[in-house]
Amino acid sequence: MKRRDFIKNSSLASSVFLVPNFLKAFETKASLAVNNKKLIIIQLSGGNDGLNTLVQYKNDLYYKNRAAIAQQQSNLLGINDELGFHESLKGFKALYDDGLVSVINDVGYPNPSRSHFRATDIWQTASASNEYLKTGWVGRYLEQEAKKSIAAIEVDDTLSLLMKGETINGIATKDAKLFYKSTQDPYFGQILNNYTDTHLSEHNLGYLYKTVIEAKSSAKYIFEKTKVYHSKLEYPKNTFGNQLKTISEFINSGLETQLYYASLGGFDTHANQLNSQKRLLDVFSTGISTFINDLKKTGALKETVVLVFSEFGRRLNENTAKGTDHGAANLVFLIGDQLKTKGIYNKPANLVDLDENGDIKYKVDFRDIYASLLKEWLVTEPSKILNGKYKTLDLV
Amino acid sequence: MMQKKHILHLYQRAGFGLTASEFSRLKEKEIDVVDALFEASVSSEKLKVNTSEIDAFLAKYSKIEDGVKKVYAELIKQSIKKTIDFNNIWLERMATTSAVFRERITLFWATHFVVRSRNIIFYQNFNNTLREHSLGNFRDLLLAISKEAAMLDYLNNQQNKKGSPNENFARELMELFTLGEGNLYDETDIKESARAFTGWGHNFKGDFEMRKRIHDEGQKTFLGKTGNFDGEDVIDIILLQPECALFIAAKLYKCFVNDTVNEAHVAEMAKVFYKDYDITKLMKFVFTADWFYEQENIGSKIKSPTELIVGIKKIVPFSINIPRQLVYLQKLLGQVLIEPVNVAGWPEGKNWIDVNTMMVRMKLPSVLLKNGTIAFDIRGEFEDDFEEFNKKSNLNRKIDVTTNWNQFDEDIEKLSYQEITNLLLRCALNEGTKTFLKSLEQTDKQEYCIQLMSLPEYQLS
Repeated sequence: MKRRDFIKNSSLASSVFLVPNFLKAFETKASLAVNNKKLIIIQLSGGNDGLNTLVQYKNDLYYKNRAAIAQQQSNLLGINDELGFHESLKGFKALYDDGLVSVINDVGYPNPSRSHFRATDIWQTASASNEYLKTGWVGRYLEQEAKKSIAAIEVDDTLSLLMKGETINGIATKDAKLFYKSTQDPYFGQILNNYTDTHLSEHNLGYLYKTVIEAKSSAKYIFEKTKVYHSKLEYPKNTFGNQLKTISEFINSGLETQLYYASLGGFDTHANQLNSQKRLLDVFSTGISTFINDLKKTGALKETVVLVFSEFGRRLNENTAKGTDHGAANLVFLIGDQLKTKGIYNKPANLVDLDENGDIKYKVDFRDIYASLLKEWLVTEPSKILNGKYKTLDLV
Repeated sequence: MMQKKHILHLYQRAGFGLTASEFSRLKEKEIDVVDALFEASVSSEKLKVNTSEIDAFLAKYSKIEDGVKKVYAELIKQSIKKTIDFNNIWLERMATTSAVFRERITLFWATHFVVRSRNIIFYQNFNNTLREHSLGNFRDLLLAISKEAAMLDYLNNQQNKKGSPNENFARELMELFTLGEGNLYDETDIKESARAFTGWGHNFKGDFEMRKRIHDEGQKTFLGKTGNFDGEDVIDIILLQPECALFIAAKLYKCFVNDTVNEAHVAEMAKVFYKDYDITKLMKFVFTADWFYEQENIGSKIKSPTELIVGIKKIVPFSINIPRQLVYLQKLLGQVLIEPVNVAGWPEGKNWIDVNTMMVRMKLPSVLLKNGTIAFDIRGEFEDDFEEFNKKSNLNRKIDVTTNWNQFDEDIEKLSYQEITNLLLRCALNEGTKTFLKSLEQTDKQEYCIQLMSLPEYQLS
């Protein structure tokens, strides 16, 4: 990377701290994004069983294939005469009833991968199944549009591939104060004072120095911007609840961050699925409904869309360990009050016409959903970010 | 004959770096360096925490009987704590063993053959199996880990039965352990090989059991061959593929030589490896190759968090008195040894670095050695255990560490500031950094080392 590019790309904008003088000359006051829309991306990691999340309770094939783990109609939260949500999704069902949810069925891609690692990569990089990309689609959005790290925050300790670009990465933080505090050591200033052009030009060493500068400026910005506002609602006291609370506080503080990413893990239910999925969907539902109600109260919901996905669905036919193996196409949720389709976007999964592994076939390419969100919501040209032309689906 | 600079490079990559006393004994040029490295790692010593209560229980019961459920539940809790102890003694072993290369390559295999287990017996056995075969034959290693309880559980082969195969192990065997994703095989090969592994399981104690009743005896077609295969046959058919040797060679190259693969060098390695899959022969070939000592391969890799911590410990002997606190630190750095992120292991290289981990890395020496404070918050698998801990303020935490400064002083006093720099930093230094280091020479040697180990340059191996 050329030095000028580095300067442009790093988030030096709002910083007057210990940046060496020669670098200050290159600082530019990057303006806030004109588009202030927020996109919250939530991954249900491990592969959530979509067929037990939105249940086709009139479908004999469903019961035939799932003797041990099928959800009975009496327990479901019915939404019409053939479909019902899992009993744990009470709060989520209320959002659905208020017209705040779109359910997109059969989302996937050709030749689906059934490996967590690979499938997550595919979803995060927006690649084809035989294509290996080293940057995430959010990372590429940062490079094309936002031009700075602060535009994307992962509410966690570590940064996923999703958030990584070629020259700009998003930032991982779940606590602005802790993050800020950690960058206030005078030693960092000393090191930066002795840093020269040649440090930047070296492959891995340059990357390390760039990261130190980045850390200082972004931590300061996030902390100062968010220290006053506190959410008024009581969030569930679990990790997922905390993550959503942090996102709400960041949004409501007026942070310029546009994209947030959080994940809820544990959905890899190869054995004894009933209890674990019940517990996890409850964590999801109570967390997300608190979050949406919070944003509704503050008015921020108008500017916010939530995308919920899993790296794959699970096989229709249960296994002998009262669980399900890795499958293919799955459902995706969009949540917000600007959705074009309130409710079910397309027909539920076809349980007769399965692929050669006995899995649900995809009908909606996940990159069409990304393209729609990029074009219709974030108002940017999707083709470069997604490395190809994809349909937009009139979602928001 | 090998120059000092090259010996430092070899021991950095093959053994977490030299200690100060090893360094001060080095002559300008040495002979038989590589042979000595391997010689020191010939024998394999098991790593064990005290599990006597659990052992006694397993000796007495072969399943969970009604009357012992409570005891069993207690032992499970104990077992989780023991895995945290194991994490600590493993780190201790890496920093203090004389069989440095055996420990370094055992760590490599532990990031290649990934498992997680809260059963300390299973976890410890698995870890020692890696250690035992780490420098032996790859076939023996592969076969042995396939039969370990920790692996059979982690990738669900315990549930892999005739008539309802579970593909998880078969898939990862090829994707992650031997061939690489989608390389040579397709979904049919996965299904067929899963059938070959039906019935491979373990008993309550963790011993391997071939459960004949649920093994699929039928014909399978795998990678173009047809027969009544079992798991061992599948492994042998995989090993026949030169792509397997190439895949492992590339992974070893990335770990020990350079993040960026040089295809010609890897092809040479694969050729050596394919002959008999002898890991020692392969690694001797790497460490005696001229290209291993080329400038572009020296000081160019970003250390993993484990390499970083162990490296510091080799310079300043310290021990973490509360094993759980090591887990906290590892979480912040992005690598809890006993909890790999997923079956694919940790993404390495630049992926270790983001704004958060970089801050922690630079603070690490003062947190460990100078009673420094660190701000952190904890979540994860062992969440419950952290509750008590999290009641305190998140800010200004200290890690309870005992540091052996006497040993340090004894070893390091003999060295000049320049020699200390040579010992600690592998990459070439810029003028700015040199000026900074010069200014530090006014401090004492303890302080000098701490400052040096906090530099971005120290993150490179």
